[in-house]
Amino acid sequence: MAETTFKPKRKSGPIKIATIGGWLVSIFFFLPIAWIVSSAFKPKADILVSPPVFFFTPTLSNITEAISFDNTLDYFTHSVVYSFGAVTLAIFVSFLAAYSFSRYKPAGTDFLMFLLLSTRFVPAAAFVVPYFQLFNLLKLKDSYIGLIAFYTMFSIPFSVWILKGFLDGVSQRFDETGLVYGASRWHIMFKVILPQVKPGLVASFVFNILFVWNEFLFNFQLGGARTFGIPVGLFTGSTKGGAIDWAYVASIGTLYVLPLIIVIYAFQKYLLVGLTFGTVRGEV
Amino acid sequence: MAKSVETLEKSFKTKAKPVNPAKKKNLFSWGLLAPVLFFFILMSVLPTIWMFGLAFYDYTLTSAKKAEFIGFKNFFDFLANQQLSGAVSRTFIFLICAVLLQTFLGILIGVLFWKNDKMPGRRLALTLFFSPMVVTPIATSLFWKFILDPTLGVINYFAESLGFARFDTLTDQVLAFPTLVLVDTWMWTPFMTLMTLAALGSVPKAELEAAQVDRLPLHRLITTVIWPHAKFILGLGILLRTIDAFKTMDLAYVMTGGGPGDRTELIAVSLYRFAFKSFKLGYATAVSVFLMFIAIALTSIYLYILNARKKAEE
Repeated sequence: MAETTFKPKRKSGPIKIATIGGWLVSIFFFLPIAWIVSSAFKPKADILVSPPVFFFTPTLSNITEAISFDNTLDYFTHSVVYSFGAVTLAIFVSFLAAYSFSRYKPAGTDFLMFLLLSTRFVPAAAFVVPYFQLFNLLKLKDSYIGLIAFYTMFSIPFSVWILKGFLDGVSQRFDETGLVYGASRWHIMFKVILPQVKPGLVASFVFNILFVWNEFLFNFQLGGARTFGIPVGLFTGSTKGGAIDWAYVASIGTLYVLPLIIVIYAFQKYLLVGLTFGTVRGEV
Repeated sequence: MAKSVETLEKSFKTKAKPVNPAKKKNLFSWGLLAPVLFFFILMSVLPTIWMFGLAFYDYTLTSAKKAEFIGFKNFFDFLANQQLSGAVSRTFIFLICAVLLQTFLGILIGVLFWKNDKMPGRRLALTLFFSPMVVTPIATSLFWKFILDPTLGVINYFAESLGFARFDTLTDQVLAFPTLVLVDTWMWTPFMTLMTLAALGSVPKAELEAAQVDRLPLHRLITTVIWPHAKFILGLGILLRTIDAFKTMDLAYVMTGGGPGDRTELIAVSLYRFAFKSFKLGYATAVSVFLMFIAIALTSIYLYILNARKKAEE
């Protein structure tokens, strides 16, 4: 069988130009981040100097100093605890809900999906006040329980949308066959269907971690010294003594950015589905 | 006597009533939804209702005065407030400039990468290219503040060596706003490129091939083959970007603080300031309710495009 694939007519000349162009664009967009990362490895005297230093002997002293601050490691620990806690919980309950939406379509499915999607579109600042008061009332401020409950809801809409999309793509035949052979509903859900939507689970896990990891405003207002994460740490730590401590910003910024870059390299094919709320799928 | 027979019959009936499978299924489906509904009601519906209620009160956190019901006064005040309507129109100017620029550049770069799917190191190049959009705006704004710093910043160094004067972009009356647009463009052009690649990827390969066999001229290829398929995803991308640009807060708040004067004061920044700087919670929530209705309208448009695409595919 002759496989026909689309091959645009290519001359070697334009392709080479396109390759160089693509790399130039990529490097251009990456330059600001590269500048921050390189600053983190400069000797302190070379960071705060004009004209800027482009060649230097790299040192780890800024990073070790930033880590040695009392709170730095705490910020990382807090971020890990609440983001992994909330996202794991969110994906579990979202899978149940998405399965229900996809297989049983209970009355009001479309409306509920609409409401969930609309939470993505409201400016975060609009909701901070009611949450702030609610958290004070329920004594949830600066607690893991409060933040995990909040970030679970923060992650649910995205997870439900993405998982429902993937579940709709798995044929109902699997469910029916399972029922005919007398398997329980739970067995069908977790042993038959779940393995088939693994890409959806991976995508929603990775991207929800990313979003919660990056969330600043609610962590800042609803958290406290016991629950502040990295973005808040970066913000508050940078202005500790009035003037901005650029060595701190560069070091913590670097520690914060490098894992993100690894994540987009490793999960690049999920980037699209991740950034469109699970509504658009395709390959990059 | 007759009565007892009736009750007997009734009890018999209820006992013998076969379990309705449809009803059981219904119960199961709602049982699966229960945990999500629990979180949704506690962490989304409740704060929303609270927000609606608060919008009708005169409530300032720092004053000793008790919260007082004032009806629609907050809304009238808000609509009459010149500063706020200024912030709203500034937000629209910001989003129109930013989204247009990002869409234009995004499509350009998208086409560059699309025609070139075998380029060496494509995945690494795309990783570098996509990285601005996954960095939290707080970090982005701090990074750019460093880069644009009037004395230490590397951009000013280059400007000076090219013969320009050093300038403090972020506190300059004229330059602050365009700088904000440009930083936003740096962050989000990769997103429009991603959407362009997806949109071009949604064009069936067979149609592209047929067009090539028929030697369709480029402009016809775009209008008759690519556009009918690509328009949906591109539309979704532009809309998502519009909504997010409308929500921009952290970037402006950290980079310029809304200044100089109110040159970069976007509506979300004003909202945050009302709530957490002057603690006028009732007033701030009235603004929130207004923003929420805009958000719901935009959601409807988004779903409309999504459904139109589904229909077109069927």
